[in-house]
Order: sequence, then C-alpha cells, then structure tokens
Amino acid sequence: MLRLWHKIRRTGRVAEPAPARPAPHDRAFPGSVQVRHVDAGSCNGCEVEISSAFGPVHDAERYGARLVASPRHADVLLVTGPVTRNMAEPLRRTYDAVPGPKLVVAVGDCARDCGVFAGAYGVAGAVRDVIPVDVEIAGCPPRPEAITEALRKLTGR
Amino acid sequence: MNPTGAGLGLAVAVGLLTAVAAMVVRQSMRAAAVGVGTAVCGAAGVAAGVCALSGTTFSLDLPQLLPLSGVVVTVDALGGLFLAVTGGVAVAAGIYGIGYARHSARLVQAVFPLFVVAMLLVVCAASAGTLLMCWELMALSSLLLVVADHRSRPEVAAAGRWYAVMTHLGLMAILAGLLVLAAHASGDSFAALRAAGPHLPPAVATVVFLATVAGFGSKAGIVPLHAWLPRAHPEAPSHVSALMSAAMVNLGVYGIVRVGFDLLGGGPRWWWAVVLGLGAVSAVYGILQAAMSTDLKRLLGYSTTENMGLVLVGVGAAGMFAADGNRVLAGLALAAALLHVVNHAAFKTVLFLSAGSVLHGTGTRDLDDLGGLRQSMPATTAAFGLGALAASALPPGTAFVSEWLLLQALIHGLPASGVLTAIAMPLAVAAVALTAGLAVATFVKAFGVGFLARPRSVRAENAAESPASMVIGMGVAGLGCVGLALLPTLVLPALGRVAGVAGPAQADAVTIRLVGVAGSLSPLLLAIALVAAIVLVLAVPRAVAARRAARLWDCGAGPLSARMEYTATSFAEPLQRVFDDVLAPETDVDVTHTRESSYLVEAVEYRRRVPDRIERRLYQPVLALVAAWGSAGRRLATGSVHRYLGYGFYTVCGLLILLVVTR
Repeated sequence: MLRLWHKIRRTGRVAEPAPARPAPHDRAFPGSVQVRHVDAGSCNGCEVEISSAFGPVHDAERYGARLVASPRHADVLLVTGPVTRNMAEPLRRTYDAVPGPKLVVAVGDCARDCGVFAGAYGVAGAVRDVIPVDVEIAGCPPRPEAITEALRKLTGR
Repeated sequence: MNPTGAGLGLAVAVGLLTAVAAMVVRQSMRAAAVGVGTAVCGAAGVAAGVCALSGTTFSLDLPQLLPLSGVVVTVDALGGLFLAVTGGVAVAAGIYGIGYARHSARLVQAVFPLFVVAMLLVVCAASAGTLLMCWELMALSSLLLVVADHRSRPEVAAAGRWYAVMTHLGLMAILAGLLVLAAHASGDSFAALRAAGPHLPPAVATVVFLATVAGFGSKAGIVPLHAWLPRAHPEAPSHVSALMSAAMVNLGVYGIVRVGFDLLGGGPRWWWAVVLGLGAVSAVYGILQAAMSTDLKRLLGYSTTENMGLVLVGVGAAGMFAADGNRVLAGLALAAALLHVVNHAAFKTVLFLSAGSVLHGTGTRDLDDLGGLRQSMPATTAAFGLGALAASALPPGTAFVSEWLLLQALIHGLPASGVLTAIAMPLAVAAVALTAGLAVATFVKAFGVGFLARPRSVRAENAAESPASMVIGMGVAGLGCVGLALLPTLVLPALGRVAGVAGPAQADAVTIRLVGVAGSLSPLLLAIALVAAIVLVLAVPRAVAARRAARLWDCGAGPLSARMEYTATSFAEPLQRVFDDVLAPETDVDVTHTRESSYLVEAVEYRRRVPDRIERRLYQPVLALVAAWGSAGRRLATGSVHRYLGYGFYTVCGLLILLVVTR
C-alpha cells in the first residue's frame, strides 16, 4: 500500500494536455457517451490502441466517454476489424440490443473497407455492410489521438 | 361452560373423533375425512383462542382423569394466543392434507388430528403433570408423523432418531425443572407454582429456569439444540412440517414465557440476557445456514431457527426491561415477540405448504434442480412468493412489522439503566439487522432460483400444478399473511393485553407508545404507496414512449441454456466467502488426467459442503463418547448367564453389607 502511494507521488500526472475541441458530430450525445466495444474479427491492433486511448496518457474518460460491459448500457458501438462470417450475426444482434438513439463508430481500416483482409474467404464485409455506420476512424491501427478525437466529437467536450 | 370452554371441548372432541374416523373410514374417503376434521378442530381452536384473548378465561379441574396429579385445564390470554395460532395453522394444514396426504398410511392419517389436539392441550395445561403429559403426547404423535415415510427413504429413519432423542432430552430437562419447582410448592398446579415461584431461593430458581429454558429451547430449535430441526422438517410430510414449524416450535416460546414470567415472576437480569444471547446467536446462525442450504425444506427449517431466535431476542429483552422496572418497554418487546410468533406461523405455513406442493409437482426439493415453475405451477409460485416476501422483513410483508417493533423496543432500550443492558441492546440491534438482511438474500435465492428463470431439470420441466385442496390450503394461509401484513393493528392490542397479563408489563403499553414515542407506521398506507408506485412505473413509460420488442440479450452468441443460470449454490457463494470463518465450508477438487499425459485433464470434479459446524463440534464428541461407553460396557455383558447371575448375587451381598454397616 505504501509503495503504491510512493509510486503515485513519484509519477505525478501523465495525462497529455487536452488538444483543441473538435467540431461535434451532428447527432452527438452532449456530455457523456457510454461505449460498448465489439471485436468483429480484428487482429487486436486496434484493441491495443483503444486501451491506450482509455489509458492514463490520453484518458478519453475525461471527455465523458466510458467503456461499458453490455450493449444494453451503451449509446455507442465501437466496432473493430473486418466483420467475419462468424461475427456478422452477433454484431447485428448487438446493434439491435443497444437502446436508441445510438451511433456506430468503425475503428481502423479493416472496419472501414476490410483492409488487407478484403476478399478473404472468412470475411463477410466491412462494418457498413452489416450495420449502419456513423463515424469512421482511419489508420492501421489508428493512433489513440485519432480515437480520442472521434469520441470527443460524440461527447462534444 | 363459557364459549372458550365450548370451543376447546369441540376442538378436542372433533380431533379425537377424526382420529377414530381415520381408522374406520375406507381408503378413498380417508384423506377428506381427516382433512375436514382437522380443519374443523383447528377452527374450534381458533374460536376458543380468540374468546380467551378477548378476556373469557376458562378453567376445568378433572382430578380423576390422571392418577396422582389429576388434570387441570385453564385457558388464559397467553394460552389463548397460542391456541389461536395453532388452530389457524391446523386449518390450513388440514385442508391442504386432503390433496397432499391422499396416499398416506392409515396410522399416519389417524395420528395427524391427535397431534393437533395434543398441541392445543399443551397451551391449556394448568398443572405440571398435565403439561408434561400433553407435551409427551405431542412429542410422540409428531415423531410418528416424522417417520411416516421411513420405508421408502432411509434418511427419514435417521431424522426420526435424531428427533426422538432430542425431544425426549428436552422433556427430561422440562420435567426436572418443573419437579424442582413443584417440590418447593404446595402442589403441581400452576396456581400453586405461581404462588411459590417468586419466593424460591435464588439458586433453586436459577436451576428451574435454566432447565426449562434448555427443554423448551430445544423444542423451539434454539442453537445449539437445533440439530433435529433441519433433519426432521425436510423429511416429514409437508403438511406435518408446516404444523411442526409454524405451530409446534412456538410452544417452546410459550413454555419459556409461561415459566419465566408467569410461574417464576421475572427473575434477575442475567437470566434474560442468556435468553437474549441464545436468541441472537440462533437468529444469525440459523439464517446463515439457511442462506447456504440448497434443499428447499432444509432452508425453511433453518429459517425457523432464525425466527424463533428473533422471538427469543424479544422475550429476553422484555425480561431485561422488566428486571430494570421498565414496564412500558417490557410490554413493547414482549408484544413484538408475540406478534412475530403469529407472523412466523402465518408465513411459515404458506412456505412449507408451497414447498410441499413443489415436492408434489416435481418430486424434488433440491433448488439446483428446480426453476421455471412460474408457468407450470402459478398458484404455488404466487403462494411461495407471498411467503418469501413476508419472511424477508420488507415493508409489505408480515415479518417487517414485528421486526420493526422489536427494533423499536431494542433501540429505545439503549438509554436504559445497567451495564449489561447497555452492552446487550446494541449487539441485539446489530444481530436483528444482520438477520433481516441475510433473510432477504435467502428468500431471494429460494424464490428466484426455485421458481423463476428456466427449469434446470426434466422433473422441473414436467411439473404440474397441485390439486385444488392443496391450493386452497395455501390460499387460506396466504390470506392470513396478507391480513397480518396490512392490518397488524387488529392483532396488536390483543397482544399488548397478553403481554400485560403474562408478563410484568403495562397492559396498554403497545398502543400508547407506538404512536407516541417510537413514531408511527401504517403498513396499509405503505402497501398502497407501493402498489401505486408499481402502477406508475409500469404505466408512465407506456404512455410516454413507444415500446420496442427486443431479443433477450444473450451476448449475441445463441440460445441461453439452463446451465447458464444462477444456481442456489452459486448465488450463495459470495455470502459463503464473506462468512468463511463462521461456516468453515469444505471443498474438494479432484482432477483426473488423461492416460497419455499428465498435462491433459480429462475431468475435474468439484464438491462443496457446508456442514453444520456447531453440530460437528458439539454433538460429534458426545456421540463418540457415548459410543465408547457402549463398547466398554459390552465387556461387562458377554452373554454368559453365569456371569449375570454372579452380578445379581454380588449386588445383593453388597447391599446387605451396606445395610449392616449403615445400621
């Protein structure tokens, strides 16, 4: 316990100063969004960057975005990866389970247009082929700054 | 003969006639005859009890009926209360038995009304001899009913042995206590004992009190004398369990109140501190074990220990307040305890009867095998839900009212005089609060796992609703529950009078103090507010926003199976972890590896058991000692006739020598 306190004192504040506020999305949830992440077949590169965006340095939670454990609690789906055939139906069901109004964010090049996996036999298509997408984040993987910025557009903070 | 006497006479006559009828009526009519007879007997008991409660006492002296002591019968207010409670339970159990006990043996059918009559007579007995005789009649008849199914299930016989030994040890203790008391009085009638009680030497009075508390406490299922209760209650037929758990255990409380307050006239503070302590330990330990149980009827059995513990907390607090001279609080505490007796009788009848209905419909009482009974057994589910709500001390339930009163008494006892009181009361408040919380968890588990969700086994899937008579039996008890929950003010003044008559309490303490000092509470208004809130919650969203039917969330993966549900064991697991040091559960993990490699696992077997720790620590050594004595004694009795003749010869010689020496 004491070591933990020492570490907290030694480390101090590591969060980056907040960049300028981006223009909010026209269907933004002002103040706070509850985010459910769905891995539809990702290589986990995007997941590493998402966890970095919610880590202490970029700290997306200070802008009102929060990861939740069930689509029933969520406003926004954060979908990564090309949608594999096994995940197409679960993704559709997850989208149905989110109460409206809801938004979908496609994270990474694979989610936008299947990336290097385009045309592979196990891929059903990009996210927009399965459920309607509202925001897209480019990059393979996208930088945590880009993810944070997209989430700030949704929270308007 | 006044109405009280007429009611009691009718009850006894109908009960005995029913027993005879059960022996002669042919099989197809037997269950109906016994059920109706028992219900009428119970109704007459209720009538007699209500008359006695409203002030019409009844006395009868039959010196010739029993050699040496005679039979003395008196129905006063205290006896009347228990008479009414026992009768009420008998009405519900009798009607229920018409459908439930259709295939019972003739002897079992005949003993059932006798058991009711014995219980009715126990509270009317007005001499030590009469009380002990009725007590023994009650013990024997209930024992016969417990072992009703001993042919089909071997564990019934074991439960019967436990019950027989414990109940007779209890009888011995009561006998010893009352005999010591009678030896210091001019006779064995309660009037003589009452006259002698307050003037006993303190040591003698203490012996009498502790012996009777041990005896009556074992009947009430008080820790550590509770071992028979979780065994006998599950194994007995369910309408018998209801009678035992809702009516018979109350007589233990009756005995303690009768001897402690009425015959001995109060006593020193520490007596009642002992009672309060025993009650608090029983309440917490009983509900903890109930929370761990996966057997539905065993859970209810432990819950009986818990509720009797709460009652004894009230009785003990009343005694301590009375010893301090605080008659108002004593009356409040005793009335709260008696109200809890009434409430417990009502909801435990519903619970045991509906548990019996589950057993009847599914053939199992293991919660881990049940579930999904809501669709197939709607009436039983409603009855159990009502009982569970009543038992979990939440506002529209019956137990809430009495536990709230009890807490009021204990909290207002905080500034009372004396170090012992000042230490005991906060601890008692904590114990009652902890018990109430654990009771909620226990009954959420019993109802949620047992009746809601999906069936966990084929037997639960194929469940069928019970016959109409069983549903009516549950309904009668359920009506009692609802009535007591909504209108306890109808019962409370009578209980206040009982507390005034039986104990050293101010007669009208309850009605005055509840409104004046403790703050008032109207359960009826609470219930109305609750119903209004539920209607609002259901109606407003429907009016405001459009509704959308969505698929049940199953992680998107596919159909949910019954194996994904909470089981009773898993629901109780967090609690078990919190109370690890108290419960000392035993877990056993067996890992079987494949033959090819010790790195590959073929099967993992996990077993968990929560043994009754008090039983293990306290009873096992005694049982081992008795067994050791027995095998040591076997060396004396080898079977040789010569040896036995020799024993007789040497004993006679020894006696003669003793006589010569002492002359």
